[in-house]
Amino acid sequence: MLRLATRAMGTRFELVLGCEDGPQARAAGEAALERIEQCDARYSVFTNSSLIARANRDACEKPVRLDPELYGLLERCLALRAETDGAFDIAIGPLMRALGFRGQRIDAPRGSNLGAFELDRATSSVRFTRPDTQLDLGSIAKGHALDLAAATLRENGIESALLHGGTSSVVALGAPPDADSWRVRIGPDGTWEARLRDSALSVSAPHGRTADFAGHKVGHILDPRSGRPVPLGLRAAVIAPSAEAADAWSTAALVLRARGGSLELRRPHDQGWLLEDEGREPLLLGQHGCFAPHAGLEPTYR
Amino acid sequence: MTSPDRRQLLHASAGGAAALFLAPSFELLHPTILGAPLTVAVIGVGRQGRAILGELATIPEASVVAVCDSDDSRLQSAMRRAQGLRGYASHIELLDKEPGIAAVVIATPTHLHKEIALACIAAGKHVFCETPLAHTIDDTRAIVTAAKGSSKVFAAGYQGRSNPVYSLARSFFKAGTLRQLSHLRAQDHKKTTWRTPGSTPERDRELNWHLDAELSLGLAGEKGSHQLDVFHHFLGRHPVAVRGTGEIRLHKDGRTVADTILLEARFEDGLRASYSATLCNSYEGRYELIGGEMALIKLGWTHGWMFKEADAPTQGWEVYANRQQYHNDSGITLIADATKLAAQGKLTEGVGLPYTSLYYALADFVKAASEGKAPACSASDAARSTVVGILANQAVRSGSEVAIDPALLESL
Repeated sequence: MLRLATRAMGTRFELVLGCEDGPQARAAGEAALERIEQCDARYSVFTNSSLIARANRDACEKPVRLDPELYGLLERCLALRAETDGAFDIAIGPLMRALGFRGQRIDAPRGSNLGAFELDRATSSVRFTRPDTQLDLGSIAKGHALDLAAATLRENGIESALLHGGTSSVVALGAPPDADSWRVRIGPDGTWEARLRDSALSVSAPHGRTADFAGHKVGHILDPRSGRPVPLGLRAAVIAPSAEAADAWSTAALVLRARGGSLELRRPHDQGWLLEDEGREPLLLGQHGCFAPHAGLEPTYR
Repeated sequence: MTSPDRRQLLHASAGGAAALFLAPSFELLHPTILGAPLTVAVIGVGRQGRAILGELATIPEASVVAVCDSDDSRLQSAMRRAQGLRGYASHIELLDKEPGIAAVVIATPTHLHKEIALACIAAGKHVFCETPLAHTIDDTRAIVTAAKGSSKVFAAGYQGRSNPVYSLARSFFKAGTLRQLSHLRAQDHKKTTWRTPGSTPERDRELNWHLDAELSLGLAGEKGSHQLDVFHHFLGRHPVAVRGTGEIRLHKDGRTVADTILLEARFEDGLRASYSATLCNSYEGRYELIGGEMALIKLGWTHGWMFKEADAPTQGWEVYANRQQYHNDSGITLIADATKLAAQGKLTEGVGLPYTSLYYALADFVKAASEGKAPACSASDAARSTVVGILANQAVRSGSEVAIDPALLESL
């Protein structure tokens, strides 16, 4: 096994390659880490020269040209916003700043924050349709970077690897040598175990990062429609074919749960969901065997 | 370039009090380019070529229409990045089949630059060539001679010359803010194998040309020449001798190029530039320092700072300047777009350039080619720093001092 790591997106990304250490494997691992570092430089709202910062600066006044990679990501973000009924939305920059999660606090934007940007495929550009729009890829950038890193590993002949960003977004390539899947314990007490093979896991919990707002402790996940933070006791783990989808849907799952209503209708068929709410029975949705209680009891899937 | 005089840098706040910020001009930060989009081909789409494609895609005045690489998987991967991109396996085929292309960007391995650059210049293209320009003095001379004989633009990739923060810092330097120079220092430290994964042993050797001492200028040339060029640009002169040492400290994987080097370049007046590069440790990354009697300038790609001595003359505007603390020292940040940001009360958000250093280099080339202007980094500028890099690499390999003939540099 070979372990490599880098610091990016305000956290630590780590790769474990299921092969012997050697110049080739190390070079492949470094190429994957470099993809992650590039994503950080391109998508961080904290870096002035990032593509997202450029868009946030200028897209109110004029269309801003994007490179094909970011354009594609924004297109998928728009699709995800529609699929999640607005529970996932990257146009939440002002709301995040109003709650105190992105540097200097600002006043909360007035009214709805939906429908704030549009894309033009012909010119590969983004334009903001509301003056106070700011994009924030915080709920999808780690997953996107991990998918690109995993693709880089595959291109370079690596068939077995586990990659994670800050332990909350995970991608599994194949399985570890001598096992049928990568097993990842979830939560502070590790009650649950996710089983991954050519799939990705994302765990979202509002208490992962908090801020003080008007005398209350609030979590960093909020409903884009209402601007209201999701209750702190919730936690969602989502297994999906890509880390990008897992990231977006684990955020959306929390928001949808907080809104109430049926989750089964919303969940894409190729995903497994585990939802925990303090003091209530855990809810398991989707494909059997995605999640298992670590202590050995068989879970009940709906 | 912005001159650091009060008139240009003064910003009157609403209350009438004047604050001076260390700001490059708006035009430098957000270049506007006249004319129809420039059609561009990128030759070499490895790591640097892909970064170039990414930046060119965001410049509306440039339109990348073709890419070229001898490695098919790289070529296919580059062609997937945009619709309608045409791909070629060799520059000869590209030039033959794409006569309408106005400009090319060359980002191949250094030792392949000469043949490609000469062919592109002969075909009447505007050329942006990555740096160092070549791995031998003869090849460097051949490129410069061809570029000088061309009616088109030839720009090179030493980015310190087009970077607005560097230009701003240089204007302070030229205005004598540092007074008597004491020392120059630069480093590039990053923990990495510097190796590119290859699918076969043969392909691995080709991709990792920079680890082969016969083809590569090593850390001194491939990385050091970029940072030494910053000193050449600021001082307007070059060192007369260079000493160096190098060792493989960590990456004992068959490479013949040192993974850790030290250089000392000496200027005619005794001023010295020390340089270190390593692939074993990442502490403090990459920066250049220019130290003097009254202040020290620190430059790091998208950021720049000025650390003033306690006895340096204080000007009124300094009270308003944005500062950052470094251990025991406080540096004035060289802020992009400071006047506009100050008006919005967002000065601290302006630390760091609004675009990458590579973007400015490419935008400068596109502007020069579109408007028929001289580029920020000319063939001669780049050739001289390339030769200093070649000789610095010789010093590292031999472990002894190598003289740098001023007449040789002057002839380029």
